[in-house]
Amino acid sequence: MNPISRGIKNALRSPVRAGAIILMLAVSITLLVSMLVARASINDKINEVKATAGTNITITPAGIQGFMGGGDPLTSEQVSTIKDTDHVASITATLSDQLGDDDTDLESALELGSFGQRQQRFDSDSSETTPTPPSDETGEDGSRRIMGGPRTTVTGTTTPDNNGGLSFTSGETIDGGSGDLVALVGATLAEKNELSVGDTFTMYNKEFTVKGIFTTDNQFQDSGLIIPLETLQTITNQAGAVTSVTATVDSSDNVATVIESLKGSLADKADITSQVEQAEQNVSSLESIAGLALVGVIGAAGAGAIIILLAMIMIVRERRREIGVIKAIGGTNRSVMTQFTSEALTLTVVGGIVGLAIGITVSGPMTNSLVTNGQTTASSNQMPGRQGGPGGMGRPTNFNSPGAQIDQTFKDISSTVTPETLTAAIGIMLLIAIVGSAVPAWFIANIKPAEVLRSE
Amino acid sequence: MLSVKNLTRTYNSAEGELVALDNVSFSVKDGEFVSIIGKSGSGKSTLLSLLGALDTPTSGSIMVDDEDIAKLSLVKQTAYRARKIGFVFQHYNLITNLSALENVMLALEYGGVPAKDRKERAIQLLDEVGVEGGMRLRKPGKLSGGQQQRVSIARALANQPAIILADEPTGNLDSTTGKKIFDLLHKLSRTENTTIIAVTHDLDIAGKTDRTFKLRDGKLQQA
Repeated sequence: MNPISRGIKNALRSPVRAGAIILMLAVSITLLVSMLVARASINDKINEVKATAGTNITITPAGIQGFMGGGDPLTSEQVSTIKDTDHVASITATLSDQLGDDDTDLESALELGSFGQRQQRFDSDSSETTPTPPSDETGEDGSRRIMGGPRTTVTGTTTPDNNGGLSFTSGETIDGGSGDLVALVGATLAEKNELSVGDTFTMYNKEFTVKGIFTTDNQFQDSGLIIPLETLQTITNQAGAVTSVTATVDSSDNVATVIESLKGSLADKADITSQVEQAEQNVSSLESIAGLALVGVIGAAGAGAIIILLAMIMIVRERRREIGVIKAIGGTNRSVMTQFTSEALTLTVVGGIVGLAIGITVSGPMTNSLVTNGQTTASSNQMPGRQGGPGGMGRPTNFNSPGAQIDQTFKDISSTVTPETLTAAIGIMLLIAIVGSAVPAWFIANIKPAEVLRSE
Repeated sequence: MLSVKNLTRTYNSAEGELVALDNVSFSVKDGEFVSIIGKSGSGKSTLLSLLGALDTPTSGSIMVDDEDIAKLSLVKQTAYRARKIGFVFQHYNLITNLSALENVMLALEYGGVPAKDRKERAIQLLDEVGVEGGMRLRKPGKLSGGQQQRVSIARALANQPAIILADEPTGNLDSTTGKKIFDLLHKLSRTENTTIIAVTHDLDIAGKTDRTFKLRDGKLQQA
């Protein structure tokens, strides 16, 4: 029998005491494993959300949301400012407009419905005049026109195919930088008007040629038109105006810097939002929970170390005479320490196995419990005005409301016990055993056999 | 040959310096059975601790086979205890969760005996001291005082030490058992040529040893 096997045997020499120590260790290691699993799962979700957040920043004129609100579109100078900002790799500028029956020979593919009727109820009563492009119903002075029917949205953009995001059923994309009278037609609108590639239609008294027919998974977009930005600016007398700019930043690390810079240069003239910014809002609650889980890990590891430390101190003090005798008959400090460390390791490993088994079982419910509490806090911290806000007609929104998205983010978290988590748990367990044995080892080294034997 | 010269051990206490051993000198031949008598606190246990390298003297020398053990490093002291010294204690001091056999094998392990030879040697030693059969596998708690002391003697003999230091070896035993243990030690000193130094209160036993020393207030006299 060597010191290691003697240590293992000694660990179980008092079943009641060993059981109590193992039980306490198992509880702390259960907590440790649960917190490790919860933290790893939450961190995975945080990384996933951040990784999918992208590097786009959306800049819209202040006070304008889709076709609602009021204010001035962004000017060409402001667009240039955005484009020239450090770390901005490219921009997509967009101007949107709506075509009434008198502006085009196309028939709208959308029905007004109760929503559309409500949105247009002011148009027929309004006594205000607005600058408009010339049409059959208005004079060259730009007096008001009455728009009673459903409208067709036309979007002027520098990237008509949405950087490859459009799916063409026929034809091909157009050059967004040109001033040509060409258009991409949504599949629903094309079907309604029996248009195909090469056909022509009229818009603001200009004849446009259909170059492509596209489809998306959005009925609103499939009922619209896309033309080059400059063309729309020209035919609507809005030279240089844009209603939305999407800036692509060279790296996600620079998104916050670019936003800060744009907020400084555009001041209150624009609203600036980014996916990263919204993603950070979403994950901030998760980061708090991950922090809480880390505190749990440290606390559980500390508790485990203290349990084994106190248990081993108690055991060593109780067996001072035995240690003295072993030293008297020729046992070295190293062999005695090996024996007691092996004893501590045995208790820790048995407690660890029990704790691991329970921890893996309860880590799912524990993670859910942590996340649910975090979700309640996060939801209650959301500003009421931001929850479920209107998407806006034609507004290029890529996100749901923050509240709804946080809910979804929380729901998507599932606890998974990975090999890395297990390795970390086992590593911490061994660390607990070593820390727990260090002080008793010091006690052992300082036991003088002559004093112990004399005190009998 | 054990030769002690001018051995002094003092301790610092609240009352000042306490002299446990005062300039003690004596020598013991190989195979001699020596007893030391003295009242409680006379320095008997201190002398045994110094002879067993469990403690270091304040001054003086302890020569064992021409080596001064008072000047050994801690590591060499441990090796000295394992190979040249055997301890027999009044309270036996066996490891309670090891069997009689394992207690003897433990001493063999510390003496550097290869693992494969330990069991056979331990059985032989236990047979020699009269612990046989199923008793060998009993834990100390299941053995009588005399049997435990026999195991303790077998453990002390494990590595064929030059000297056995016995601290009140019969102090915890009835007179009949005590006599048997004394006879066993006496026999060993003759058959194994082992030097035995025994501390005792029992003057009858002391009278049967080769020589008796008396310790009084830290000073040694031959009785």
